Amino acid sequence: MAEALLEMHGITKEFNGVKAIDGIDLIVHPGECVGLCGENGAGKSTLMKVLSAVYPPGTWSGTILWDGEELRARNIRETEEAGIVIIHQELMMVPHLSVAENIFLGSEPTTRAGFVDYDTMNARAAELMKQLKMPDINVALPVMAYSGGKQQLIEIAKALNKNARLLILDEPTSALTASETRTLLDLVKEFKARGMACVYISHKLDEVAEIADTVTVIRDGTHVATRPMAELDTNEIITMMVGREMKNLFPREDHEIGEVVFAAKNVTVWDTTNTERKLVDDVSFELRRGEILGVAGLVGAGRTELASHLFGCWKGDSRGAVVLDGREIRVKSPADAVAQGISMVPEDRKRHGIVPLMGVGHNITLSVLKRFTRRGLIDAEDEMAAIQGEIRRMRIKTAQPLLPIASLSGGNQQKAVVAKMLMPNPRVLILDEPTRGVDVGAKYEIYKLIFELAKQGVAVLMISSELPEVLGISDRVLVMGEGRLRGDFPNTGLTQEKILAAALGKQEQVAA
Amino acid sequence: MTLTSRDLRTFLSSYKIVALLIVIAVIWAFFGFMTYDADLGGSQFLTARNFSNLLRQMAITGMLASAMVFVIVAGEIDLSVGSLLGLLGGIAAVLDVLYHWPLAGTIAVVILLGIAFGLAVGWLTAYQGIPSFIVTLGGMLVFRGAVLGLTGGITVAPASEGLKYIGQGYLPGVMGNALAAALFVLLVVLAFKTRAGRQKHALPVSSMTVEVARLVAVGAVILGFVLTLNSYQGVPVPVLILLVILGVFTVIADKTVFGRRIYAVGSNLEATRLSGVNVNLVKMMVFGLMGLMCALAGLTTTARLAAGTPSAGTGAELDAIASCFIGGTSMRGGIGTVIGALVGALIMASLDNGMSMLGVETFWQQIVKGVILVLAVWMDIVSSGNTR
Repeated sequence: MAEALLEMHGITKEFNGVKAIDGIDLIVHPGECVGLCGENGAGKSTLMKVLSAVYPPGTWSGTILWDGEELRARNIRETEEAGIVIIHQELMMVPHLSVAENIFLGSEPTTRAGFVDYDTMNARAAELMKQLKMPDINVALPVMAYSGGKQQLIEIAKALNKNARLLILDEPTSALTASETRTLLDLVKEFKARGMACVYISHKLDEVAEIADTVTVIRDGTHVATRPMAELDTNEIITMMVGREMKNLFPREDHEIGEVVFAAKNVTVWDTTNTERKLVDDVSFELRRGEILGVAGLVGAGRTELASHLFGCWKGDSRGAVVLDGREIRVKSPADAVAQGISMVPEDRKRHGIVPLMGVGHNITLSVLKRFTRRGLIDAEDEMAAIQGEIRRMRIKTAQPLLPIASLSGGNQQKAVVAKMLMPNPRVLILDEPTRGVDVGAKYEIYKLIFELAKQGVAVLMISSELPEVLGISDRVLVMGEGRLRGDFPNTGLTQEKILAAALGKQEQVAA
Repeated sequence: MTLTSRDLRTFLSSYKIVALLIVIAVIWAFFGFMTYDADLGGSQFLTARNFSNLLRQMAITGMLASAMVFVIVAGEIDLSVGSLLGLLGGIAAVLDVLYHWPLAGTIAVVILLGIAFGLAVGWLTAYQGIPSFIVTLGGMLVFRGAVLGLTGGITVAPASEGLKYIGQGYLPGVMGNALAAALFVLLVVLAFKTRAGRQKHALPVSSMTVEVARLVAVGAVILGFVLTLNSYQGVPVPVLILLVILGVFTVIADKTVFGRRIYAVGSNLEATRLSGVNVNLVKMMVFGLMGLMCALAGLTTTARLAAGTPSAGTGAELDAIASCFIGGTSMRGGIGTVIGALVGALIMASLDNGMSMLGVETFWQQIVKGVILVLAVWMDIVSSGNTR
């Protein structure tokens, strides 16, 4: 094979002394497509941010050779000038600008008088659209007139316009329909034929298998293997992605599972921006008293959106019955949900969990403040007694009950948020990534609490992207993929491989 | 031991109110010195009469600022309060002067209308999702237009004696003294109750010496306040109303579910919503409270001028908003106190009053007030270490 276009050697990047990636190698030749695979949080995005100088040289160690010479780009602009273009998972378009204006954003052709030369710009944009086999796109229309899939292809046009020699696609099809995905894959193949190199990051292993020549697998920030795709099949990739030992981190306790208390029927949730697209597509399930139901799936599978519908906080369109004790209930807002005995601990603690300027204690009592009022005034003593009880029970480490919550560690913040949502004594508790960004000790305590709640008869729905956690905690596991329910397994003899295979839509492996 | 700028910063950010009081002391000392006139027997600024005037001048801005704090803490803004004040004052004048309504009826109708207008603004903002900046900018024009239509653009006078008392009256000295004594006893009882409560839950309390010193200082302030005002004509009625508002609003902020939720909404709207709080209702109620304060301010304005004028309250929204920011309310919401806003209003009123006394031209007064506003917020940002 020809000289390598890109060689990354021994890339290591630390955050506050924790290695996010540790000694990773990635080599790409001209005309080659490398599939980069790994679980959520394995370090794929970090690696790409190192390459694109989002993390500039000096904040990481290792070497990057570009065309045989050391790459010295200090910011994204300079990497793009060198010919490395990243297309992100989330679209980076200015919706109100025209297609042509978006393509030429930051490099607008100008007339001699210094005005934008729209004629040249539109002509060149139309030419690019023809190359991408989308001649029917009107480059003078605002970008928002086109679907998410078309916009993704317009992003690629933008990359072509920058004379990209290496195209990095980060989950490019997560927002695309099947036919749009087809177009994109065909385009990538054509680019390869023209000698452009490509790094393809995707959870959809079928796509990787189709277009990648080489596959690099990383896991927990370390390099696992780099092998030609021809020698591999998708199951082997899954095994390499998961392949870690389960340690006994989970304080499993027996608990009794009772009758069905909660059910979701035919839940469908539509995207807020691309209103045609279904993020959750006709999902139904039941939840029993004292049962811990894990919900697994890859990022973008629609799990958080499902939970948002059940808790009444989805901002866009959604449909589907929520049933409590066999009776359909109205959940139009989180206030409705909490009042009827459903609580949710949201995924994004900073944005949706904590009220940063208030004390830990006042965060904990936020949802049940009325309980402490006497003649319209909050009884500070009553409230403080409850706060201190919770702080002890949840083992929240804080110097003072009314210290601003933002000054606590992530784990203690999370315990306070959980405490807050337990204050209304819910019968159904939805936990969305309950241990994200939480240290091992706090994780263990949260697991213990989950079992304790199950013992008391609370029905728990736990969304988690950490498969060991799902397997270690759940009584039953739902697997979601691309908005659909892809599997419903009792947690006996279940393996990470099985879950991952189901999530990736390998139907033949789903148990009947 | 040296006092570093960092120590000073920590001190000022934890005792913001002390910093504001120092600013007031400096302003007063400055004007006191500048207006010193040996022929007239001393400083003209630092007299009981001027102190009384100063407080009466700030009363109306203070009423608006008290509720504006909650609006800003909740992460919103209200630009319509000056016009709404004008409209409600105009309605009060029309009912009082032209229809000779009994005072109680006028007050009740004006207050109800104020709350209704406020809730309407709040409903449009909270439930319909129109940014409060837009709703209240529109409201500013609508209310001002309405008052012009209502009064036909002319002054409605003269107001009845009863109405005038609200704006121009004074409390008899004996009653002033009695209220001051009652207030002091109440504060002492509350202080020790809070202290006992905190000790019971092993929360840190300041030492007994500090506590007593604090109470003595508070007592001295109250005593000085009442004695000074009584040596002129007594506590002005609008000032009394403002002090009651200060007390009630401080209790709302610290002791009620509604108050706690206002701060939560302003600090993180989404987290508060996801905790099961009806955040839209909280926001609408805040605007309702703002409308109530516009009603009181409107009544006081009409009473003070003994007439309803179509231009009453023009620009009052900016004074109220500036008072809040000078008094340490955060633009980003979630932080702010009623007492801080009132001290902010006092600073603004002191500048107005002092510069008028010195015969400073109006254009300079505006320039100085503008500079002070920016300076105050800049100091706040520097002292909290939030510079970018």
